[in-house]
Amino acid sequence: MSKRKAKGASKPIGECISQLQKCLRERLCHNRIPSQLEASEAQHKHLLGLLQRTANNGESNSVLIIGPRGSGKTALLKCVLRDLLQEKEVQKNLLQVHLNGLLQTDDRIALKEITRQLNLENVVGDKVFGSFAENLVFLLEALKKGDRSTTRPVLFVLDEFDLFAHHKNQTLLYNLLDVSQSAQAPVAVVGLTCRLDVLELLEKRVKSRFSHRQIHLLSTLSFTQYLEQVASQLSLPDDFPDREFALDWNSSMRRFCEDKSVEGILQRHFNSSKDFCSLHMLLMLCLSRISTVNPTIKPADILEASRLCFSDAKSNMLHGLSILELCLVIAMKHLNDVYEGEPFNFQMVHNEFKKFLQRKSSSVYNFEQPVVMKAFEHLQQLELIRPVDGSSAKTQREYQLMNLALDSSQIIEALHKYPQCPTDIKQWGMSAFG
Amino acid sequence: MGCFVFKPNTKKKKTSSLNDHFTHGCKGAETSDIRFRLFHDLWNKTKTDIEILQDELNKKVLDSLLDFTRKCSITRQHSNWASQMRASEIPTAALMLGVNVPDHDMTFQSLSELLQQSVTPHVVSVQAKECAGKLIHNMEKRVLERLMDTLVAAADDEEEEEIEAAALQQSDTPVHRSVHCSLSVLCEWYNTQTKVGPKSSTPGKKRSSPSKDQYPPVVIIFKDLEAFNQKVLQDFILICSRYVERLPLMFIFGIATSPSTIQHMLPHSVSSLLCIELFQSLSCTHHLATVIDKLILTPKFPFKLSGKVMQVLISLFLYHDFSVRNFIKGVQLALLEHFHSQPLSVLCCKKKEALRNLAQLSHGDLERIRQLPSFTRYTGHWSKFKILCGQKCLHALTSSLPRYPLGKQIRELHLICLEKNVWETEDYQSAMKLLKMLAKDELIALLQKCTEILQPIKSKMMKSAFVQLEDMLNKFKQLDGEMGEASSLTSPLKNFQKKTDLFQLQKALLEMNESRRSKKQSPYENLRSDVLEFIDNLVKSHLPPPESQTLNEVCYYSSSSSVRRHLNATPRTSIQAALSSPYYYLPNESLQTDDGSVSNAAPDICIVHKLHLECGRLINLYDWMQAYSTVVSAAEGNDPDSDNFGKFSSARFIRAVSELEFLGFIKSTKQKTDHVARLTWGGC
Amino acid sequence: MSSSPLPPPLQQQRHPGYEEERLRRVAEQLPCREVQAGMLLSLMGEPQQYSLPCIFIYGHRASGKSYVVNVLLKELELPHATISCAECITAALLFEQVLLALFGGDAAATLPRYPSLSDFVRIYRHHRSRAPAEQTRYIVLEKAELLRDMDANLLSVLVRLQELVEDNLTVLLLSELVWDTFRPNTGCLEPLPLHFPDYTKAELHQILSRDRHPSYSADLYASYIHILLGIFYAVCRDLRELRHLAALNFTKFCEPVTEGKAKESDTHKLWRNIEPHLKKAMQTVYLREVSSLEWEKMQQVETETGPLRGLSAHTHVELPFYSKFLLIAAYLASYNPARTDKRFFVKHHGKIKKTKFLKKNEKTSNHLLGPKPFPLDRLLAIFYSVVDSRVAPTASIFSQISSLVTLQLLTQVSHVDQLDAPKYKCAVSMDFICAVSRTVNFDIIKYLYDFL
Repeated sequence: MSKRKAKGASKPIGECISQLQKCLRERLCHNRIPSQLEASEAQHKHLLGLLQRTANNGESNSVLIIGPRGSGKTALLKCVLRDLLQEKEVQKNLLQVHLNGLLQTDDRIALKEITRQLNLENVVGDKVFGSFAENLVFLLEALKKGDRSTTRPVLFVLDEFDLFAHHKNQTLLYNLLDVSQSAQAPVAVVGLTCRLDVLELLEKRVKSRFSHRQIHLLSTLSFTQYLEQVASQLSLPDDFPDREFALDWNSSMRRFCEDKSVEGILQRHFNSSKDFCSLHMLLMLCLSRISTVNPTIKPADILEASRLCFSDAKSNMLHGLSILELCLVIAMKHLNDVYEGEPFNFQMVHNEFKKFLQRKSSSVYNFEQPVVMKAFEHLQQLELIRPVDGSSAKTQREYQLMNLALDSSQIIEALHKYPQCPTDIKQWGMSAFG
Repeated sequence: MGCFVFKPNTKKKKTSSLNDHFTHGCKGAETSDIRFRLFHDLWNKTKTDIEILQDELNKKVLDSLLDFTRKCSITRQHSNWASQMRASEIPTAALMLGVNVPDHDMTFQSLSELLQQSVTPHVVSVQAKECAGKLIHNMEKRVLERLMDTLVAAADDEEEEEIEAAALQQSDTPVHRSVHCSLSVLCEWYNTQTKVGPKSSTPGKKRSSPSKDQYPPVVIIFKDLEAFNQKVLQDFILICSRYVERLPLMFIFGIATSPSTIQHMLPHSVSSLLCIELFQSLSCTHHLATVIDKLILTPKFPFKLSGKVMQVLISLFLYHDFSVRNFIKGVQLALLEHFHSQPLSVLCCKKKEALRNLAQLSHGDLERIRQLPSFTRYTGHWSKFKILCGQKCLHALTSSLPRYPLGKQIRELHLICLEKNVWETEDYQSAMKLLKMLAKDELIALLQKCTEILQPIKSKMMKSAFVQLEDMLNKFKQLDGEMGEASSLTSPLKNFQKKTDLFQLQKALLEMNESRRSKKQSPYENLRSDVLEFIDNLVKSHLPPPESQTLNEVCYYSSSSSVRRHLNATPRTSIQAALSSPYYYLPNESLQTDDGSVSNAAPDICIVHKLHLECGRLINLYDWMQAYSTVVSAAEGNDPDSDNFGKFSSARFIRAVSELEFLGFIKSTKQKTDHVARLTWGGC
Repeated sequence: MSSSPLPPPLQQQRHPGYEEERLRRVAEQLPCREVQAGMLLSLMGEPQQYSLPCIFIYGHRASGKSYVVNVLLKELELPHATISCAECITAALLFEQVLLALFGGDAAATLPRYPSLSDFVRIYRHHRSRAPAEQTRYIVLEKAELLRDMDANLLSVLVRLQELVEDNLTVLLLSELVWDTFRPNTGCLEPLPLHFPDYTKAELHQILSRDRHPSYSADLYASYIHILLGIFYAVCRDLRELRHLAALNFTKFCEPVTEGKAKESDTHKLWRNIEPHLKKAMQTVYLREVSSLEWEKMQQVETETGPLRGLSAHTHVELPFYSKFLLIAAYLASYNPARTDKRFFVKHHGKIKKTKFLKKNEKTSNHLLGPKPFPLDRLLAIFYSVVDSRVAPTASIFSQISSLVTLQLLTQVSHVDQLDAPKYKCAVSMDFICAVSRTVNFDIIKYLYDFL
């Protein structure tokens, strides 16, 4: 991307850039399904096989996809479904029900949602059912097709599976798994969860009906794979409109990934977490800096981006405190040191502060108590200090016991960063005991 | 305060049943209905007077409040550079009302009425107990409900729909149906209101409201700030502050304690959203003083309270609650009691009427009059006037003296006069001494006051007194002319004002006497002593205590005990009384016992209580029951050896014991098996 | 970002898809926030492009969070819903407002009376399919920290709402708190944290100088702001507060100029004039002890009526005689250890030295630790011993206690509906109680364990 070229053909470049943005953003933000998952080939095959058997042979199944957040559970499922639905027959036959533990917070809602997604509202009308089971069975019965005696296979996807386990009596889980056990209707139940101990949450009767098939996405991925992941995420597909732009973009990305500093940064991220979401966030930050002015990602960009990702929010906030508030924080720190983490109230903190003022005999900072109180309240609002008990209304404000939600290292760091911090206060902060 | 939140249920006196109730069991039933009528008229008159009085008293603070609201709404509409910065603040009036909460109701009533008449139709007042609960929903509901209530039918338990309905009905502009009540709904409603213009606003109390400004403020009155849940209040203020640009909101805090509670209740982040102005309503003591002055110390009302009753009522006021309202209730009670229990109260009314009633008096009544202790000779009427204005004069003279020998408030003097012959008290003597040393100008001023008091009074004795005083004053004036040096000698009292020690004062007085004896009396001093002589006689003749007066029973109500019993109940002692002497409450002959002991026929709990008084701190239940059953069986007369002995008694015993426990005399204890602990001391 | 040398101007090459004109208007509306605005804008990308599912913007109060966001969204005319969670006391209200803003009234009307998250998402998807987004939709949630108390899953749903409703949608969470205080215990999709740093002193100066008084020169106002910051910066960096203070004291500041005592140039004189005044303002207006209205009045009259009394200056409360003693008793009960009552209130207790019943953990005074709860009967016992006259335990004595509670002079510690042996605390300050006991001439200090 020589400067001349960028200037010379700025218009088409603008085009290309926005195309690039569109394409990559869809990938990074909207998690568009990648063409193929390198990382989890085996899992993919396994799941696909299961679902195919349900779809074609009408065999019931239940499986759990377990993996930490951002390890690509959803992506895996999406991939499988896409591949699955390429068969005409399946497409015609298979019904899907997607539930999410976050949304369907109890079984009544869940059932309503199921009915809706199977669009059977009109069939159900205003029937009243004795039990949940009856209702579910009725729904499945209703799916019987006129000519065939078998009912159509139904795929139940339960996202945030663990939350369903908290429903009353786990009725939904019980019935779904029960159906999947008994051969009354071909049903596949796929649960996605990030809790490894999810089976412990299930009641015995529920657990016994579960097939105990689990697909683990504990990302075993090595750093080289991680790097490949980065490269592939950033590379443009072949169907990109401007062929030649795509080519040298990809080559530049390849060069970018081989850069040592970049590698170092990525290594750092890799060590902190392997999940794709945070990676996407990082790359997104880089991508957002792309424009006709700087049409490619430079190591500087990713450096900046990672600085943003790793910045400690709390010390950021401390940076914005007023001197007075900072003084109070220091006083609290000292109180914590002296009384090894005992909760304190405003009076104590103010005392500590006053002690400091007496020692340094300059009357710059001795404010009236109400002024100090206001600062104290502000700290409480920022939840840098937390009341010990919830009964805030019961006690007078100055006597309410508090805990400091910062550790001394953060405070020290903040003191270093603090803009034109007076030296005496700095020393006071650094000093071991008030 | 809570103790005044107790509201005596106001009885409707029109109902005939009440009349019957009155006549039932009251002495001298034949004149009862007249007395009832008298009572009724008298009370109504008093009530109306009091209301007028209190309106006057509140007038000042209310007016200033109204001005405040007007000013705020005006500044909001056209603002200058500086007041733009205040635009985000909610104007707030903090109204100091003192701790006598129940007296506040009337103030708020008249306040909101005034506001609606003169400033804005949109006034809503909320009370803490209506907005109970941790969540803010209640408060919002109430506010919206009330505000829109002025337009639509009252909202029931399903407020929200009602409010939506209100919003929909009111708005001719298409407004989306809101699922929940929120201030945004209020905003829309307000806009439609102002767009339509208050003139054409829907029928209701608001049509009368003269709408001078296009955007009348929305005033929210928090009747009792202290009682509100702090969290809720803060949230509400936060929400309101978001709307203050669109909606001219305005708060009025009714504060019972002191302004600092605002700072205690609201953190600075919230209080910085308010622009608080203080308003002080007059103190309840002052309020009471005026009420007494206008109500008790006036010849208008024939009915009078004796010293003791007065004492009870006032001490109730000073020691327990500062509630004027309760004081008035007390007076009402005394009035009722008086007319109820004293047959001769039929004469307690205006003179003419009294004479008419007198004519109708039955023989029995006359008998009663003869029996009255105070009946020596029948004089046509009594010297209320003299007493009152006499007191007024004396008060006028003495109230400015150092250390207030006869009290600062007139009510104190009044009490003294009611108790005994005022001129025999040494306070009076010292007061006179002090008067003797007054400088001329001071004395003249005081005398002037007296004359002013005496002026309007019709009675001829007073007239004569008035005349005498007048010419004495003139004498002083002349004195002024011939000798100026009199004025030169200035009051030695001046320097007494400072020294507050009574002893010193007396010493100083003695010295004064010495010095005066030594030097010859100046004409001024002669004159002064004459005047004081005259006043002394006046007092002696006019201020005898009412007991010494003829037929004082007719218009003086004196049974302080019943008043105290009614107004200052002592649950503990009454329980004790009930348990130790049940006859007091259950007039059943079998219960009557000469000595303090409890008869066997008394209710179980009384017996059990009696028995438990004999025990120590720990009571053995079994022994207790034995003792109990012997007593009971003795009462029923079956011998302890019979087989069915103690069959029922055990159950009854258990019940009685549990009752005692419920009343808090005993409690179960872990210290010893089947023992209970006593919670009261002493015994018999 | 704050460390990046000079802020890149909001220009079209950087942010394609937006008109140069609009960008310029945005830029001049956002002084000292170009960096953040640019950052945000580049994250948003072109209107039709996807953006991150959720961005978490945090920073101190009045650091321009919601201001920047709203200016961007308004000026660039992007479809958005701005909601303050303070208003939305229920999730239902929130759903309603979102749908209302994005899809209009009829969408909001389709919500059931008590909508669940499921309903919300369903309805959203329904309308989304009817009106697919050709521009990114934005949901801005101010005071997002309140979402935590609302509905268990609400936050985690909002964070991944884009995925759930399958729409080109970005949720912007605005808060003064850090994300760590938000994270649900089972975790959720992490939003991109974006910090709005506090304004530097210079920036504050620049911004405050903008709203200058029409009838005075700009640099006079600037110098005024300089002085103001010199005094208040150490205490308060809240732009709103400072602006408030600036507005209130300016008339006072330029008084010498108007009276012709000083020229606009001699700043020192002006400084000497205003400095003590501002010091006073810190005790009064800054704490809202004195309302801005009164403050202004007081400036106009300009009579040195001593220290003007703020709200907390008048603490005096007229109380009935016995209420006073009840309050005193309560104070003693909550600041004295129970075992010392004997020493204080029993006649002819032998001389007991303080050291005798000084426990080692009682080095710190009770006035530092605050009031302790005490049972009702202890209160009454002390009450009867401090009140010199015999008092009958009448009903009104007891009701006075409850009245004191409603007046918040006492606080009931035990639960309200616990009838037997309720516990109380005294909630009044030392000098308050001293004032009260002076009126009944009772020397309370003699009875306080801390002052033995």
